[in-house]
Amino acid sequence: MADSFREYRTLVPYAYRYRWHYLLGVLCLIVTSGGQLVIPQFVRRAIDIMVEGGFAVAEVGRLMLALAGLAVVIGLGRFGWRYFIHGASRRIEAELRGRLFEHLLLLSPRYYAGAKTGDIMARATNDMNAIRMATGIALVAFIDGVFMTLAILVILFSSNARLAAVTIIPLPFITVMIIFAGRVVTRLFREVQEGFSHLSERTQESIAGIRVIKSFVKEPHFLKRFEEVNLEYRRKNLNYIRVWGLFFPFVAFLSGLTTLLLLRFGGEQVIAGSISPGDFVATMSYLAMLAWPMLGAGFTVNVLARGAASLARINAILKEPPEIVSMIGAHQKASSIDLSIRDLTVVHPDAGEPALDGVSIDLPQGTMLGILGRTGSGKSTLIRTLPRLIDPPENTVFVGGVDVRDYDLGVLRGLFGIVPQDTFLFSATIRENIGFAVDELSDEELTRVADISTISRDIGVLSEGYQTVVGERGVTLSGGQKQRVAISRALAKNPDILILDDALSAVDTESEERILKAILEFRKGKSTILISHRISALQHADLCIVMDQGHIAQRGNHAELLAQGGLYREIYDLQQIERKHARGHDG
Amino acid sequence: MAEPVLQENEKVTIGYNPVVVRRLLRYLKPYRIMVVCALVALSLSTASELLLPIVLQRAVDRHLVAVWRRAPVDRVAEHAPLRDAVERSGTVIGPWAYVLEVDLKEIPAGVQRALREQDLLSEEQYWVTPVDHPETAAAIDANREQVERSQTHAAIPAEIARSLSAPTRLALRAHDLRGITRLAAVFLSLLVTVLFTAFVQVYLMASVGQGVMKDMRLQLFDHTLHQSLSFLNGHPVGKLVTRLTNDVETINELFTNVVVNLLKNFAIMAGVIVTMFLLSPRMAVVTIATLPPVLFFTLVFRKKARDAFREVRRWVSRVNAFIAEHVSGMPVVQMFVREVQVGREFARNNDRLMHASLSEMYVFAVFRPIVDLLSSVSLAIIVFMGARFLSIGVVSLGILIAFIDLAKRFYQQLMDISDRFVILQSAMAGSERVFELLDAVDQIDDRGRLTLPQPVRGRVEFEHVSFAYRSGEPVLRDLSFTVEPGQSVAIVGYTGAGKTTIANLVTRLWDADGGTIRLDGANVRDIPVAQLRATVQPIAQDVFLFSETVAENIRLGADISDERVQEAARAVQADGFIRALPNGYDTVLQEGATNISTGQRQLIAFARVLAHDPRVIILDEATANIDTETERLIQAGISTLLAGRTSLVIAHRLSTIKHADRILVLSGGELVEQGSHEELLAARGLYANLYRLQYEP
Repeated sequence: MADSFREYRTLVPYAYRYRWHYLLGVLCLIVTSGGQLVIPQFVRRAIDIMVEGGFAVAEVGRLMLALAGLAVVIGLGRFGWRYFIHGASRRIEAELRGRLFEHLLLLSPRYYAGAKTGDIMARATNDMNAIRMATGIALVAFIDGVFMTLAILVILFSSNARLAAVTIIPLPFITVMIIFAGRVVTRLFREVQEGFSHLSERTQESIAGIRVIKSFVKEPHFLKRFEEVNLEYRRKNLNYIRVWGLFFPFVAFLSGLTTLLLLRFGGEQVIAGSISPGDFVATMSYLAMLAWPMLGAGFTVNVLARGAASLARINAILKEPPEIVSMIGAHQKASSIDLSIRDLTVVHPDAGEPALDGVSIDLPQGTMLGILGRTGSGKSTLIRTLPRLIDPPENTVFVGGVDVRDYDLGVLRGLFGIVPQDTFLFSATIRENIGFAVDELSDEELTRVADISTISRDIGVLSEGYQTVVGERGVTLSGGQKQRVAISRALAKNPDILILDDALSAVDTESEERILKAILEFRKGKSTILISHRISALQHADLCIVMDQGHIAQRGNHAELLAQGGLYREIYDLQQIERKHARGHDG
Repeated sequence: MAEPVLQENEKVTIGYNPVVVRRLLRYLKPYRIMVVCALVALSLSTASELLLPIVLQRAVDRHLVAVWRRAPVDRVAEHAPLRDAVERSGTVIGPWAYVLEVDLKEIPAGVQRALREQDLLSEEQYWVTPVDHPETAAAIDANREQVERSQTHAAIPAEIARSLSAPTRLALRAHDLRGITRLAAVFLSLLVTVLFTAFVQVYLMASVGQGVMKDMRLQLFDHTLHQSLSFLNGHPVGKLVTRLTNDVETINELFTNVVVNLLKNFAIMAGVIVTMFLLSPRMAVVTIATLPPVLFFTLVFRKKARDAFREVRRWVSRVNAFIAEHVSGMPVVQMFVREVQVGREFARNNDRLMHASLSEMYVFAVFRPIVDLLSSVSLAIIVFMGARFLSIGVVSLGILIAFIDLAKRFYQQLMDISDRFVILQSAMAGSERVFELLDAVDQIDDRGRLTLPQPVRGRVEFEHVSFAYRSGEPVLRDLSFTVEPGQSVAIVGYTGAGKTTIANLVTRLWDADGGTIRLDGANVRDIPVAQLRATVQPIAQDVFLFSETVAENIRLGADISDERVQEAARAVQADGFIRALPNGYDTVLQEGATNISTGQRQLIAFARVLAHDPRVIILDEATANIDTETERLIQAGISTLLAGRTSLVIAHRLSTIKHADRILVLSGGELVEQGSHEELLAARGLYANLYRLQYEP
């Protein structure tokens, strides 16, 4: 427990920044609680005046006016602590979330390969809530609970120790109950949560596997299975309720018992004349006030523990070091963009065979490199090492004669524009997606890059043109459309080195050729790397390599490779036939 | 990469929607007995809770501060209300009739003063006690000269009594002390009743809520299972799962938390008001007069809180969506070095969320103190007015104390109610989304009643079939071919040629847009879907296994014996690796079946189909690279599987293609070539190209 509370040290700088918030908040809290404690005194005085008989009503009136005045002060105090403490906790939540996201931006692709989006999301949402609760309301409940409990006990014992001692007998049971039943409740609650995630998993699995269910006509069976988890979940919930449902009635019962004891023993003292009826009423109010703070303080411990657990999960991300970073004194500028790769070997972790094995290539500024190879031959790994999306070993990849590892990461990646194999577009307008990589995108530039990728032709049919929102919360584009938006996105940046990783696979051969021609026209004087399965696309390359199991199997320009024979030639021949066929087919 | 978490724009409705509420209430029907019992328990606990302050008041007025006045017995008849009071609870000692002050409250203060002036009522207050206890008798004997006594009762002026020693006072009031003890016992039994009934009510309503949730989930699940695939394609899995899990859960809150507690809140408020009027109509009027400001603020708050809540929800889902999306799209962000800009945009969103959250906090920070302030002010007014009424003798101290307690309870309910608004709102929104899903009916028409003549021979015919998943993008165009019973036909073509669609159409996961598909000469639309799918079974490329035991994955809940399961596994060469698993056939597969290899998953899928023994198999061969050993097993498995059955194989492996009786070559949704492997190679057409590029080892 104490160990887990150490997680809170992440929050120390935040707590320091908001120290005045917390200080003023606690002050207001004490004013509020203290004021509440005084209110029964006013009532007591009023009642005692009344009991004596023959009193002046105006005297009670004055007392009650004072009470109302105090109530105003309490009201201000109440507003104050909410304003300060909740304000601080909500600000801290936002700042911590901001910090978490900033950190996520730095983490390397390798981290994301192993992390589940759902899990990261859970941390950014549920765990953040738990932390907010711990830094806000739990703190209040704790301070308030401790302060109120102590103050009330002091008041009760100083005014009538014997009566106090008798009447508070049931209250320790609340604490005992929180400690013991609390443990049971926590366990049962965890079971409920497990039941819920089991239910979610079952639902998720069944809906994901719905084709199988339908194909085998297993709807009744899966309905039965689903019913089973539902019954299980219900059972767990009811187990929980069986204990938890008793909690509040039991606290109310114990609180009622104190009133009962007061009635019997306090009543005796009133009759005996040792306390006044006013004392009796005041004690009753204090006892009623005592039960809930004790309960609250107990629960606070749970909330704080939950907050610590959540912080631990946040800290786990924050502690994750960014794997690929700029080194100190990194180069801020590339003298040229001549690219050279020297004997590059890359072995993925947990893989036996190297993904790249002794690859060497020279790509002078302004030239085009074509890459052909079967799936898994290392093409994507190769291009990912260039902008250090995968870190290459030292002294293997150079830009302008400088090891890519010696560049500032932002500067290095800024040289590249990549159109990846699997297209990812953001849930934003098409215009925003195309302009993603640049700060400003003029209408002319937009039209230009959209024309090159030919996505401009599709824009006409979309209801809101370039302002059409795509993705999760918008219209679904076809694979080819997505790829062409992604190409425009990379072109808008007009990078020094453009990399197209099988970026037109969902476009037919002839369109691909047209688009490529336009791209090459646009790219004059800049470098381009093209991964493709189509010779028609690769034939424009100044240098073309054929990759096979991490090696370069063949290299040369189109004519040279055709002359060499091998895979390049074979595929060329076949695609010639295909083209003939396609032409015949169209005609 | 993991599937992105869907943080859709949460719909937050206006709050109360009578149609939704009526539909929700219908789910209570099977549980009406429980609901009635819960309501009975609720009324019992509410009544008991309300009786508690009354018992307290009685104890205070009749015993704790019991003071009496006396009237001459012979003159009591002169004044009717006084006579009534004496007859009701008066005690006659000698010439005097003693009446408890609290019983005189029916007589207005002015009249009481007049009575006192006429000596009909004493100015002096007395303690009166029955002499039924040796201690009491002794104390009375000790103060003989101040005491007026009869055989059974004694009275002593209060002023004198108060000056006596504590033990004597206690002895004189032993009767009251016993009365207090008696009422304490009543109080205890009420506490126990509250404890018990409150628990019963909570438990019953929880059972009802859980039951309703279960029913609702089953209904939703059943509904979803029967939706057509085109519906399911348009609804991301994550969204459907949220409907079934989280949204239904908020409805549970409605039953277990909101409805019952609102009922209780209102019941207590009503009870408090009734009790107030019973105790003292004047004080009740005073108390109620203090309420309008609170009600006004509560209504204002309700609106403000709702707006603030909506704003917070809006930004929460915006921020969540932003995180989810950018975590998924992190490679793109980093590739284009947009960390700073994205970070800035996030900060903007996060900032808006913080401000929405702070605004919400301000609403609560203002409302709560105001209600508390008003509650204190109303306490002051009650005490002040109570003092005035007390001074003219129309209310007793006990009643005043009871009112302090009742007013506190009333305000407590108001606070509770305002707390529940927020839950009510999200529950309403959840219900609306659930009902929306239930109302969306998009099922494959299953009205065919034609029974295929048994045994099914397995002749599959496509006749001018065309199909498009999205209008304007045809996937199949005018496709016609026939597969004779027992024949094996391979379908080849580039990705996107519409091969997989063929399987979907035969099993009617989708319905063709044009043309006819026949099984043994019968239009598949005329055959009951269940029978059709039992006859024609597809094996998908990406095998879907459930996180169940291997045996269960083969059986899928059908009544298939262990022997037959193992037999099927043996036949497709899966038996060996299954037995090598930690628990053999009883090994539970992990989510996504990650504890076995892709090839092994294929084999299990084969065993599954074999165990179900369909007449027609549509096999979508996996393209994944598989180690040579498993590859060999799979090839053997496939030939076992296809033996003696009609099969359509969407082929990716040369050996499979070579074994086929006939090859269909698809391009752009059309059949462009067909024939045997040798014939097609010789034709040097599309097939020959495909063969060299994709299949040749």
